[in-house]
Formats: sequence, structure tokens, C-alpha cells
Amino acid sequence: MKRLGPFSVERVLVPSGAWVLAISLGAIAAALVAAGVIFWAFGINPLRAYAIIFAGTLADRRAAPEILRQAAPLLLAGVGLVLAFRAQFWNIGAEGQLLAGAVASTGVALFSPIPAPWLLPAMFVAGFLGGALWGLLPTLLRLKLEVNEVVSTLMMNYVALFSVEWLIHGPWKGKTAFGFAYTDTFPEAARLALIPGTRVHWPTLVLGIALAGALAFFLGRARLGFEIRVLGENPTAARYAGIDPFRTILLAMAFSAGAAGLAGVGEVAGIHHKLLAPGQVSLGYGYAAIIVAWLARGNPLAAILTALFLGLIFSSGDVMKVSLQMPFRVTDVFNGLILFFLIGSERLLNYRLRWAPGDRAAETADA
Amino acid sequence: MRWLTFLVVLVLAGGLAVPGIAQQKLKAGFVYVGPIGDYGWTHAHDFARKIAEKKLPWLETIYVEKVPEGQTESFIDKLILQGARVIFTTSFGFMDGTLAAAKRYPNHIFAHASGFKRAPNVATYMADFYQVYYLNGLMAGAATKSGKVGYVGAFPIPEVKRHMGAFALGVRAVNPKATVHVRWIYEWFNPTAAKEATEALIAEGADVFAFTEDTPTVVQVAAKRGLPSFGHYSPMHKFAPKHMISGQLVHWDKIYVDFLSKVYAGKYTAENLANVDYWWLLAEGAAELGGEFGMPVNPEWKARLQAVKVGTPDLGRLSVYDLVMKRLAQMSDPKVTFEPFTGPIKDRKGVLRVQSGKRMTVGELNGMEWAAPGIVGPWPKEP
Repeated sequence: MKRLGPFSVERVLVPSGAWVLAISLGAIAAALVAAGVIFWAFGINPLRAYAIIFAGTLADRRAAPEILRQAAPLLLAGVGLVLAFRAQFWNIGAEGQLLAGAVASTGVALFSPIPAPWLLPAMFVAGFLGGALWGLLPTLLRLKLEVNEVVSTLMMNYVALFSVEWLIHGPWKGKTAFGFAYTDTFPEAARLALIPGTRVHWPTLVLGIALAGALAFFLGRARLGFEIRVLGENPTAARYAGIDPFRTILLAMAFSAGAAGLAGVGEVAGIHHKLLAPGQVSLGYGYAAIIVAWLARGNPLAAILTALFLGLIFSSGDVMKVSLQMPFRVTDVFNGLILFFLIGSERLLNYRLRWAPGDRAAETADA
Repeated sequence: MRWLTFLVVLVLAGGLAVPGIAQQKLKAGFVYVGPIGDYGWTHAHDFARKIAEKKLPWLETIYVEKVPEGQTESFIDKLILQGARVIFTTSFGFMDGTLAAAKRYPNHIFAHASGFKRAPNVATYMADFYQVYYLNGLMAGAATKSGKVGYVGAFPIPEVKRHMGAFALGVRAVNPKATVHVRWIYEWFNPTAAKEATEALIAEGADVFAFTEDTPTVVQVAAKRGLPSFGHYSPMHKFAPKHMISGQLVHWDKIYVDFLSKVYAGKYTAENLANVDYWWLLAEGAAELGGEFGMPVNPEWKARLQAVKVGTPDLGRLSVYDLVMKRLAQMSDPKVTFEPFTGPIKDRKGVLRVQSGKRMTVGELNGMEWAAPGIVGPWPKEP
């Protein structure tokens, strides 16, 4: 225990919700101050900049729904990663799993004879399976040969990326794409419904929220959820308790990668209505979802909030590009600063300050 | 609470101030696919935007770079919120988003580059280079000693195939036995891949280089080996002042100035654009021959090109330099008295593609998939 003036600094194992919120808000405030220097360097009054960002995101009826549109894939992939991370399986491959889901659902949309009302559900099933299969190889490598999953899942992203490029330039190149690298567009029945007056494909969003809720329940109540938690927190104890790590990790990763696959379905069926360049299908959602899951601290319901928050940050960058005419690299720095401060503040969560003037005993005991 | 009030006041003040200033001016918004520093496509559009703003005192412009295709509409919303009355979307992938936004803003004017879908308030425009590639091909045919010309292509799409085809026709017009060797890099912006492709072509024996991608890499790599090349899109002369023979330069500003002037004069409205399609080439000044503005052929190469003589059916025997200048004049003439894609033209498999005496139409050029004779290398989707 250390002393800081009249306070004593204490370690806490499980920070309270209020403390997490206070630290996070403090980090965001600090980040805004730091980012303010960038605005100031650009000759823009930081307060005016933030006012414009607020007016162009949350307060604008056309722009606000765009936050949801970006939050949907972040939520699906993020919820999946929450589960993988709880099992201490470091899945960095959500981007590739998302693309695999997009590919699988495109295959169903364009080349299957499934009739209209069943087409979209079939696409989601295919997307889930596609993502899960993409995550299977690194999972098996880790479980059978102890290959580091951080590297293998990451590498699978590049395999996915180039596979998509190959498909849209080769066998799946559309006859109606006028030579450009797109597949043909999806039939009407393979397109997701939008919230009227917006471009938000709501079924994906509902699916994400439902999945977050289901996972929260599952982790808290179900046997497999319990096993995943134990395995993640104490593998040795898990083995004594007779938990089969192979089966548990395999199932957790299948769900994690499958959820990312669902995000991919939402992007192609809700926005593009075709398969196209991988950098257009996913705007780095698979990587951003790592931050969504990290900030959610293992809580699937919190991922709803963190996904929305990340969506808001991305939208803020978009507003800066247009309304403030700032270069895109500077908006990326802005986004990076906020996340840097948030993740950097993580360490503070495990400490708290207690008002304890003259509490000399604690200090001497510590010494 | 005071904080919130402050914000609201600021927002209102900002919102009221903007239309007050903009009343007399026409505001145009540009949607770019790449970063404005890409030294290729987006750079050229942004360069043109600045020229248009300088030339037209009543014009005000805003832009947004690196826009993902799926967010076309969302960024158009933002530009219109900033007071833009005319929107230019500068990538094929923005087509559907532009059309959808145009439906929601029936009183705004839109123009989409490189697409083919129009509407009462959506025009299309394109500045194309195939004529200039032909001229560069003539010079490449004269410059090659090994008879192998290297070509680095971004993607095997009709635009690039058309450029390469015109280039190969030019090479063969001067050097009927020469071949054009192709490497695809499957990326618009990837200096590493462009470097590898150039080096592979050098290893194959190529000694003159042309390309269609968005970096000056090919020019730089070739110059290091002392080999000549042709620039593309932006002025690249300074990267290899001794070795760059010529190149293609674009003038999107000609289109922007023309279009915006007609909008300002009331000639183009949100109701009469359904048939407005700019397909501008040398004659309209949207394309220019050269590696630097105002310099069609590098003076270092003039004598060497004058030393090579070639026979032509219509102009008799003359030097390659004179041939290039004659053809340039013919294509720059408003009547366009010469066209590279004039039949009879057979593809590299021997199939007749352009009937004798016929010129390829704009539609045929835009959908061109076949490979011209002399091209060697993979050709995805070859008919």
C-alpha cells in the first residue's frame, strides 16, 4: 500500500461499476484535451471543433443512424471476441472470419436455389458456418500443436483478404459488373430490410443485441459458460474439475468466429448487396472489434455500449473530414488518441484512493 | 447545463453564418476514393478542383477523401449539409450511392465519374487516355532495342485493357515485331508490387516501360537501370528527367470548369442531365501528351526519335517524332481525323474485333476485354 498525501492507494481485484465509469470518462476527457492540441495546431478552436462534431453526429438526424450502421458489425464481432477472450483464446482473426462469413453468404445469395423467405436466414446460417470454419484451423493448431493463436488467427486474415480478391477478380466476377471487380448484385430477397428513412439494416443490429443478451445469460448460467470461465481464469483448476479444454475452447471459438461471420453477412446483405474488395466489405471492423471486446472487459452486454461508442468515434472522424476539412490521417490520429487513453487507463482500474489522513499504520506495515 | 447552452449557441451561430456567406457563390463538393496525396487518380481530381476554384471566382469547393463505397450516401449528406449544391463523385464504386442520394435530393446536381447510370440530376463524365497511350506506344516501339516492352497493369479491367491495347497498337505501328509484356499487380497503389513487377519484366528482357497504376515506381525502378519509361496520370518527369520519354497527363479541370460554368449559367439544371455524358479526350483538352505539363516529348529524346524512320499508309515515310506530332495534331483536332481503334483490327488470337473502316464506339471501348496483337502475358476474362 502506498500513500499519496492524505490518501492511501489500495489495490482492488474487482473494480466497481462506478469506478470503471469514472476512470473511462476521465480517460475520454483527457483524450479530448490532448486531441484539442491537434485542432488548435490546425487553427481550429477545439471547443468549436467539438461542438461541430456533436452537431454532426449525435444531433444530426441523418448522421446519427450511421453510428448504428457501423456499430452493428462491431457489436457482432465484438461479442464473439468477448467469449474467446473469456476463454483466454486470443482471437485476432475476426477480420478474416468476417470476410469468410461475407463470402459464404454471397455464395448462398448468388448461387443457391433457396426460395425467397428462406434465403436470408440461409445466408446468416452460411455466414456463421463460414466464419466458424475460418476460425477452426487456428483453433485446432493451438489445441493439437500449441501453435500461438495470435499469429495464426492474424495470418488467416490475409488469406481471407486475398481469397476475396481472387473471387471477385476470377470465378465470381459479375457479368453485370462491367469489368470491375464485383460479383453480380444480390436478388431483392437477399437484401436486408432497412429502418425507414435511414440506411440501417436493423436485422443485423437486433441479432447483435440478442446475441449479446444470450451470451450474458449463457456465461452466467449455463454449464458450458461456466466451464469457459473456469478454463479462462484457471486452466489447472479446470483440469481438476474434469473440464475438457479441447471441447470447451473449440465450441467457444466456433461461436466467436461464427459471430464475426454474421457481421460479414450484415455488411454484404445490408449495405453492398454484392461481394467487393475486402477493404470495402469491412472497414477494419474485425480489428476494431478487438477494442470493443477489450473495453467491454469480458461483459457481453457492455459490448453493446462499447460498440456504439466506437461507432460514435468513427462517425466523429467522418464529420471532421467534411465539416472541418481535415486530412483523413489527422482524423485517424484523433480516433487513435481516444482509444489509446481509454486502454491506457486500464491499469488505474485496479487501484483506488481512500481518504485516510494520519493512517500511519498502513504505511509502516507496507514498509 | 451552461456547457450545453454554450454548445447549442455555438452550433446555431455556425449554422446561421454559413448560408449567409454562401448565397452569392456556388458550392461544389467532391467525394474522393483515395487520399489526395496518392499521386494518381485522387491527386489529379483534387489538383483540378483547385484549378477550377481559382478560375471561377464564384466557385467554392469542399472535399472529402478516402470515402468507403458503402458510405457514399452518408458523406454526400454531410457535404450537402455544408451547403454544397453540386456533388462530384469520383469513383466507379460510388455509382449506386450517387444515384440513391440524387433521388433524395432532387434539386441538387450530381456528376459521377467513370459510371454509366444517369438521371435528370445526375450526369456522368470521364477523361480517357487511350489516344495518348497510342502515341506513347509509337515512341516505345522506336525506343526498344530488345523488341520487348514492359507494361505494369493495376487490374485487368476494361479501362486498363483499353489503355494497354492502344499502347500495343502504337508499338506495332512502328515496330511490327515488338511485343508488350504484361504484369498485373492487382492494386492501384502498391509501390512494392510495382517494383517487383518492373524487375521481373527487366529480367524477361524488356527495355522500355509503361504502366497503369497510381505510383511513379515503374519510372523510378527503370531509371535506376538506365531504362526509359512513360509516366502516367501526374507529372512524373522529375523522377527520371533523363529517362522518361513522355507520358499521359489528365486535365479534369477542363471538365469541372465546363460543367460548373454551365450550372452557374443555368444551362445545366437538376432536370436536364439525363443525357449529359462527358467522354473527353485529346480534342477537348482533358488529356495531354507528356511527362510534364507543356512538354509533349522529353527534349533529351527528340533527336533519337527523329532518327527512327517509319512508313505509314496515310502520311508516307517520316520520323517517329514527326509521326507522333502528326497523330497528336489529328487527334487534337475537333474533327478527330485519326483514331487508334480504327478497323480492321484483329485481337491477338486472330479474331476480327473492329470491322474495316469502322471506329470503336464509346460503349465498345468501355467494355473492351480482348487483347491487341503483340500483347504477351495473362489476360483474365479474355474472350
